[in-house]
Amino acid sequence: MTDTLEHGRPHRSGTVPRTLGFVARKLGGAAVSLALVAVLGFFLFRVLPGDPARTMTRSAPVSAEQLAQLRHRFGLDQPLYVQFRDFLVNLARGDLGTSYTYNRPVTELIGERLGPTVLLVGTATVLAVLLGLWLGTRAAWRHGTATDRWFTSVGLTLWSVPTFWLGLLLLMAFGVGVGPLPGLFPVAGMSSPDVPPGVLPRVLDVGHHMVLPCVTLVAVIHAQFMMVMRSSLLEEMGAEYLTTARAKGLRDDAVRRGHAVPNALLPTVTLVFLHLGTVVAGAITVETVFSWPGLGLLTYEALRVPDLPLLQGTFVVLASSVIVMNTLAELLYRVLDPRVRA
Amino acid sequence: MTSVLRLCDVSVDYATPAGPRRVVDRVNLGLDPGGTLGLAGESGCGKTTLALAVLRLLPRTARVRGRVLLNEQDVSQLTWGGLRAVRWAGASVVFQGAMHALNPVRTVFDQIAEPVRVHSVERPAVSALRERVRELLERVELPPERARAYPHELSGGQRQRVMIAMALACEPSLVIADEPTTALDVVVQAQVMDVLRRAVRERGAALLMISHDLSVLAGTCHRLAVMYRGAVVEQGETARLVTAPEHRHTRELAAAFPTVGDAGSRHVDGSAGSEGRGNALLSARGVGVTFVDRSRTRTRAVRNVDLEVCADETVALVGQSGSGKTTLARTLLGLCRPDTGRVRYRGVEPGSSSGSLREFRRQVQLVAQDPTGALNPRHTVYEAVAEGLRIHRDVVGEAERVRAALEAAELRPAADFVGRFPHELSGGQRQRVVIAGALVLEPAVLVADEPVASLDATVRGEILELLLGLRRRRGLSVLVITHDLGLAWSIADRVAVMRAGELVEQGPVERVLTEPEHEYTRALLAAVPSLPRVVD
Amino acid sequence: MTTGGPSADVRARRPSTLAEGWRAYRNERGGVFGLAVLVLVVLLALSAPLLTDPAGLDVTRVEDAPLQPPGAGHWLGTDESGRSVLLLTWWGARVSLLVGSCAAALSMVIGTLVGVTAAHFGGWTDTVLLRLTDFFLVLPALVLAIALSTVLSRGVFTIVLAIGVTSWPQTARLVRAQTLTVQTRPYVERARALGGGHRHVLGRHVLPAVLPLVFATTTLTVASAIIAESTLSFLGLGDPSRTSWGAMLKSAMDTGAVTAGAWWYLLPPGLGIAVVVLAFTLCGRALETVLNPRLRGEGR
Repeated sequence: MTDTLEHGRPHRSGTVPRTLGFVARKLGGAAVSLALVAVLGFFLFRVLPGDPARTMTRSAPVSAEQLAQLRHRFGLDQPLYVQFRDFLVNLARGDLGTSYTYNRPVTELIGERLGPTVLLVGTATVLAVLLGLWLGTRAAWRHGTATDRWFTSVGLTLWSVPTFWLGLLLLMAFGVGVGPLPGLFPVAGMSSPDVPPGVLPRVLDVGHHMVLPCVTLVAVIHAQFMMVMRSSLLEEMGAEYLTTARAKGLRDDAVRRGHAVPNALLPTVTLVFLHLGTVVAGAITVETVFSWPGLGLLTYEALRVPDLPLLQGTFVVLASSVIVMNTLAELLYRVLDPRVRA
Repeated sequence: MTSVLRLCDVSVDYATPAGPRRVVDRVNLGLDPGGTLGLAGESGCGKTTLALAVLRLLPRTARVRGRVLLNEQDVSQLTWGGLRAVRWAGASVVFQGAMHALNPVRTVFDQIAEPVRVHSVERPAVSALRERVRELLERVELPPERARAYPHELSGGQRQRVMIAMALACEPSLVIADEPTTALDVVVQAQVMDVLRRAVRERGAALLMISHDLSVLAGTCHRLAVMYRGAVVEQGETARLVTAPEHRHTRELAAAFPTVGDAGSRHVDGSAGSEGRGNALLSARGVGVTFVDRSRTRTRAVRNVDLEVCADETVALVGQSGSGKTTLARTLLGLCRPDTGRVRYRGVEPGSSSGSLREFRRQVQLVAQDPTGALNPRHTVYEAVAEGLRIHRDVVGEAERVRAALEAAELRPAADFVGRFPHELSGGQRQRVVIAGALVLEPAVLVADEPVASLDATVRGEILELLLGLRRRRGLSVLVITHDLGLAWSIADRVAVMRAGELVEQGPVERVLTEPEHEYTRALLAAVPSLPRVVD
Repeated sequence: MTTGGPSADVRARRPSTLAEGWRAYRNERGGVFGLAVLVLVVLLALSAPLLTDPAGLDVTRVEDAPLQPPGAGHWLGTDESGRSVLLLTWWGARVSLLVGSCAAALSMVIGTLVGVTAAHFGGWTDTVLLRLTDFFLVLPALVLAIALSTVLSRGVFTIVLAIGVTSWPQTARLVRAQTLTVQTRPYVERARALGGGHRHVLGRHVLPAVLPLVFATTTLTVASAIIAESTLSFLGLGDPSRTSWGAMLKSAMDTGAVTAGAWWYLLPPGLGIAVVVLAFTLCGRALETVLNPRLRGEGR
């Protein structure tokens, strides 16, 4: 005899079409977002400035002919809808226009700078996530103790510090050196000119250059992961299934590892990915401070002129990559959490 | 003879900023091997605290005094290791609300196998665990492939069965069941109770069962203890306790759950209402409501329902949760649009013109299930009652009308209540404020959705008495929505039985509840736990 | 149950909930500390024109040696043009606080409007607004703010706009969630059954319940807005006519103060940002704890 008058959720049947529907919905959403990025990119850099040619030449005196020539070069003398159409067509072909300062295709410039940014941001994010989750778990489990207060205070303080300022301080203390302390790490770039040949020395050299920017990024961004993990775990700690687990005779650490953490981890993962945008923001200033030849530094160089085609390019690339990463995270989350999966 | 559980002078105090608060007061209880003891009491009487104290599962702010002997071992003297060994192997718990008591991200297999693994000396083989879980699931009548499911894939009754299987995993000598069936429907409740009773008896384990519902306990336990404000006020053999209760509170608990078919608990004169019915005030014709949820699944919550509420009658709409009765009520109130069919008030469809909707809103009023939620915590009683008048911009003599409504809801003197905030009132008083807020507009029909479900046993009677009185004095028609057949029996003229969105049977209470025609009504009636009549 | 006893004087007792909130807030040590710091900083910022001479900010009118370490003449040393770092930091607080509060207020207004509209009206409105909110939530806010402040003319207003229109999604999400929760409360259902329309439900029930939490979030938004302001100024997108902490750090980097080891030029503005942001964060967290009963009862 089973329950005659009630039914559980259909067990496993229909899971596949529902997953497909979910994937399709997420991909559709991402496509809409990417389209919005393209529209926003056009609107921001072509429509909002009124006359982009004048904006670009803000810092230098130019003659009327030069301006007209510039307008013609960037197609600004065309009607707006023609410009938009051309922009979309070129975007689809992977053509983001030509840089005003470098006089080279934007795509090419971005391609060169992508690697260093991925290396730096990737390493820093992974380290920050691991550190943040570990500290957050410990703080929550010792809720209300000195450990918790200490972790929370340090985390909050680091979170309140502007990334670039921390970078400047570290640069001064460990790059340049203060007083008797010599500089331990390089102050700029990602490689030295006088590296002995061979793979290992070059890897070590890049690693040496990466220490300070990476530490700066990790110090600031791990704090929010820690706080999220802490509060998420604290929320779980009142859960009744933990009483069940304790009633079963489990040790405290088994209750934590086996029951509380897996539940707290899932919402944290989503939030970690939502914070990718702030990581990118941190990368821009950190790359600027340490002259790390990545997309962030390229953005900084572009906005100083301002080189609108280049800025538009970095905007589209940075925004799209965050959207793509987020979509991947949402799909991954679906695999990880049984509650969403079914 | 040694006992499984003996509580000697057990008291529990919680440390609060205002000093210690006593929750359990010098309780003495004993339970023999294989025995069954029911612990009854209202919410907040300390029964759950007492149960958690047995395995030392209370939060750190709790301080336990007295001796808790589990298999003649003083639980408070045990080391942490010793305590862990006793937990689940000596006594296990079936918690209230299995949705929250099961870990949402681990499978049924994991959770049932876990205590077996923890309490084994050697690491058991996976195949042995699998065999054990299969056997346990069989014992609670669940198919073995359910072991792979996650809790959210199970229905409420199935989850509770998993909890029971889990509780039996280490063959404990005592199973503590804390409100094991509270959130479940009558029929499922009966099935789960059956499984629990049998599983415990087969293994010779003792059962300590906790509930607010005396009738549920009476059907399972040989001995009963009644708790009131932390103390056990009466205990004894079940048969004696329910037929000849000594304490006033035991009588109140017993009276709170009226018995269907017993003339003494019927409070209306059914003959007048059922035969000489007047014109329909509120009527539904062929009403159907379909919901589309996020995954585009269409749920037909209400299908083709015909229902009438006439002048001067009380109609009860009964059904299990999920049967669509609340959706039907919302549709009757115009809060939810029907896809098919029509709702009419005095023959006019509300919403056909803006004036008719306004008039309709004055005439048909709602009394919601949970009075605590139905009052905005930021508003005073006066504001809550006057809200309807203000919405209808009918503010002439507002103060006087609010006072009259409060007094009609038996909150006297009204002056004592107008300035209070909801948190300064008791549950029963809050429900009276909600009723006053409806009465102030002088409606013709009151739709009461589970009006007493969230109230304590002792207050239920008073609120039902108020509803009956309003009908007598004002000729107010009431549509009561309830899962409780006993409630329908005690106050309604007519009853409509709803199942999966359809009305399967309706008619005068005396006929439908004593000679049901539809098999579903019969199943419902059979599942209601009944109590031998209390002698007043 | 009856805590206060019957009393007719409601007006006198309603503030008692406010007083109760304050009592709960006082238990949050971090919140009290943050509030004290904020009061002090705001007073200092307001009193800058009264206590100091703005002439000291004018590069053309100072004659002191550049990059002087702290000493008797200048407690915090001088910058690359010989201006007092103490004076610059003092005046810099004004811009940071002004921009931070205005941007947070702007983001609060946008976020609340979007959140309440989406949750209350539901259906297509909700779908579209939620999609838009999610888009802006994921979009790297700083990148968008950089784009906006590059193409618009430099000025305080542009910075406020750039930060305001990029920081509202969190508020909108929170307000939407909170509105949805409040709307499931039976008292909203009751108000609708009594005949209350959108205006009644929103004005009498939803907004009063949502606004306190909005206020707490806005306090947190001020913190991130101040960081965003300093970042934009640091990247050279600030108002060139005003001294701000971010702009000070920019000139410190551009003029080689870092390589020269001029720590006195680097520390004060950065510490200023950190202290004010931390103070706002502590206040916001304390407010959240007081207002959100679920957090208040956290942990066992």
